[in-house]
Amino acid sequence: MPSPVAVEGLSKRFRRYSTDRAWTLQETVLRGFGRRQSEDYFWALKEVNFEVVAGKMLGLIGRNGAGKSTLLRLIGGVGEPSEGRILTNGRIGALIDLGAGFHPDLTGRENIFINGVISGLLRQEVALRFDDIVDFAELEEFIDSPFRTYSTGMRMRLAFSLAVNTDPDILLIDEVLAVGDLAFQRKCLERINVFKEKGCTILLVSHDTNLVAKLCDEALWVNEGRVAAHGPAEIVVKQYSNAMQNETQRRTPINQINSNLDNGAALQVNKNRFGSLEMEIHNVKLFNDRCKPTEYLDSGDPLIVEMEYSAPQAIDSPIFGVTLTREDGTVCCDTNTPAPALGSPVVFGRGKVRLRFERLDLENGSYFVDVGAYQKDWAYAYDYHWQVYPLKIGKGNQKKGILKPPQHWEFEQEKD
Amino acid sequence: MPQSWNLIYLRDLLRELIGRDIKLRYKRSLLGIVWSLLNPLMQLLVLSLIFRIVLPLDIPNYNTFLFTGLLVWTWFQTSLFAATGAIVDNRDLILRPGFPAAILPVVTVATNFIHFLLALPILLVFLLISGIPWSDAMLALPFLFTVQFLFTLSLVFFIAPLHVRFRDTQYLLGIILLLGFYLSPIFYEASVIPQQYQLLYRLNPMVTLIEAYRSILMQGKYPGILNLLLLSLVSIALLWIGYAVFRRARSQFAEEL
Repeated sequence: MPSPVAVEGLSKRFRRYSTDRAWTLQETVLRGFGRRQSEDYFWALKEVNFEVVAGKMLGLIGRNGAGKSTLLRLIGGVGEPSEGRILTNGRIGALIDLGAGFHPDLTGRENIFINGVISGLLRQEVALRFDDIVDFAELEEFIDSPFRTYSTGMRMRLAFSLAVNTDPDILLIDEVLAVGDLAFQRKCLERINVFKEKGCTILLVSHDTNLVAKLCDEALWVNEGRVAAHGPAEIVVKQYSNAMQNETQRRTPINQINSNLDNGAALQVNKNRFGSLEMEIHNVKLFNDRCKPTEYLDSGDPLIVEMEYSAPQAIDSPIFGVTLTREDGTVCCDTNTPAPALGSPVVFGRGKVRLRFERLDLENGSYFVDVGAYQKDWAYAYDYHWQVYPLKIGKGNQKKGILKPPQHWEFEQEKD
Repeated sequence: MPQSWNLIYLRDLLRELIGRDIKLRYKRSLLGIVWSLLNPLMQLLVLSLIFRIVLPLDIPNYNTFLFTGLLVWTWFQTSLFAATGAIVDNRDLILRPGFPAAILPVVTVATNFIHFLLALPILLVFLLISGIPWSDAMLALPFLFTVQFLFTLSLVFFIAPLHVRFRDTQYLLGIILLLGFYLSPIFYEASVIPQQYQLLYRLNPMVTLIEAYRSILMQGKYPGILNLLLLSLVSIALLWIGYAVFRRARSQFAEEL
C-alpha cells in the first residue's frame, strides 16, 4: 500500500516582495518592461524528505517561521513545490485557516452546505451528515443564525465538526486545537483518536510540544526550512525543547557524527540517532543465549542486548533504556534502568550495559531494538538509536498480534 | 484531491458557489432582486430620453431595441468586472487544499447569467407592449446564451489571473469596457457605421451577438448562423488558451494573495 503522504526532496522558494515591487500595470509600464527587477528569493523549505505511514500521527514542531505551515499547505495542495514532489493518497481534510470559507452573512446551515461541498463532499453527502455535524458542534439552537453572530468558540466548533465529518484519509491540522473550551478540546482529541484507529493519517502543526508528545506517534522538527529531526515524538520533542532552552549556550554543535555499523546500516544524527551526544552509545550487540551475536531468534528464546557507552565528561545517573518495536512502529516492550533515585552511579569514561530478556515470547516477524541513554530526569536524550538494530523472530512473515506465549490447546469432550 | 472528483461533484460545487453569490447579493438588501434590474432600467431611461427626444434616432420600437442591447451588454460587462474579483475576493477558497480554482470564473459568468435571466421577463413585457409577435426563432436563444457564455468565460479566464498580478487591471478594464459600449450597437444600429469600416467594426464579437439577439427577439428571424459559428469556434479556441494561462497562473495564486 502506498503511504498516504510522501514528501521527496521538497524545496519551496518564495519571492521576497520588497516594497518597490510593481503591483500595478501602470508602474510596470512606467518602469519599462525591459528592466527586470533584481530577483530576490528566500527558501522557506529546503530538501525536505519524509513519509508517514497510514494511521500514524505526525507532529510538526519548530519555531515561528520555520516553514511548518508552508509545509502543511503544500501537502494540502496549496501552491506548488519549487523542487521535489509530494505524493498524497486519499481525501485530504484540512483545518488550516479556521473559519476560512465561512461567510459571516450566511447562516450556519448555509455555511455547512457550502463548505461541505467545498471540502469535497457531494451535496447529498452533506445532507446525510448534516445532523452529525451540528450535533458534534453543539449548535442546534443557532444553526439558522448568521455566522457573524457566533462566538469564536462556536465558529471553531463548527469548523472542526465539519472537517472531521468529511471522512478524510489525511487530516491536516494547523494550530487550532488551542481554541475552544476544555470540554470541547477533549472531545476533539477523542475524535482524533477515533480517526487514528480508523487508519486516518494526521499531520498536526503545534507549538504545544506536550500535546505533540502526547498525541503524535512521530514528530518532525523543522528548523529554518530543513528537517532538523524526524523520529519518535517524545524523543524529538525533548530534543527540541532542550535545544530551545539552550539556544544561547548550545552544548552540542550538531556536526554530523555519522558512523557505519557492522550490519551495514549507517547511524545518522537526527535521522536514526537523536540526542545531545554528551554521552554516546556504540557497539550495540544482540546476543542469543549461546552468547553469539545474532539478528535472528526463535520465539521464546532469550535475548541479551549489550551496548557500550563512552562519556567524555562525568554524567550524573543516566538512564538506559531499551525498546522493542514492531516494524510498523508499534511498541511491544519498553524498559529502562531503575529511576535514578535508586542510585545509579555517576558515569564517566567507557563501559558496558547489558540487558537480559529471559525469554522473548514475540510473534513471528520483524522488529527493531531501540536503545537510548537519557538525562536523569528524562529531560532529554543523550543518545538514542531508532530503528537501527533489526531483530527477526521466527521464520516466515509478520503474523497478526504481538505476543506468542508458551501455549498448548486442550480438548475435553463431555459424555452423556 | 477529493475522490468524488467528477461531474456530479463539480455540478454541486457550482450550484453551491452560485447560490452563495446570489444569496449574498440579496441577503441584507431591502430591494433584493430589484437591484440587478435597476441599473439597466435607469440606463434605458437616460438613453431613451436622449435618443428619442434630444437626438432622435429613427429606429422603430426604440425602447425594446435599446433594452435588448442593454441587457446583453450588462451580462457581458458585469461578468468581466466581477472577473477581477473572482480570485482576489476568494482567497479563502484558493487556499483550500485541492480546491479547483478554475471553477471560479465559471461561477462569475454563471451568476451574472442568472441576473440576466431574471431580467429577461421585463424584456418580454417590452416585446408584448411593442406588439412584436412571438416566434419559433426564440428556440435559438439557448444557443445564443451558450455562445455568449463561452465567449465571456474565455475572457474571464484571462482577466482573473491578470488582476491577481496587477491590481489596477480593473481600471484598465473600465476604460476598455466604456469604449466597448460605444463600439457595440447598443443604442444605435450597426448599419450606420460607414461601409469602409464595417469589416473592422464587426471584429467586435458583441456586434454579432447583439444583432443575433435582436434578429430573434424583434424580427422573429433566425440569425445568420455563419458568424455565430465562427464566434463559437473563436470562443472555444480562446477558452482553451485562457484555461491554459489560468492553469499556469494557478500555482502562483497562493503566493500573490
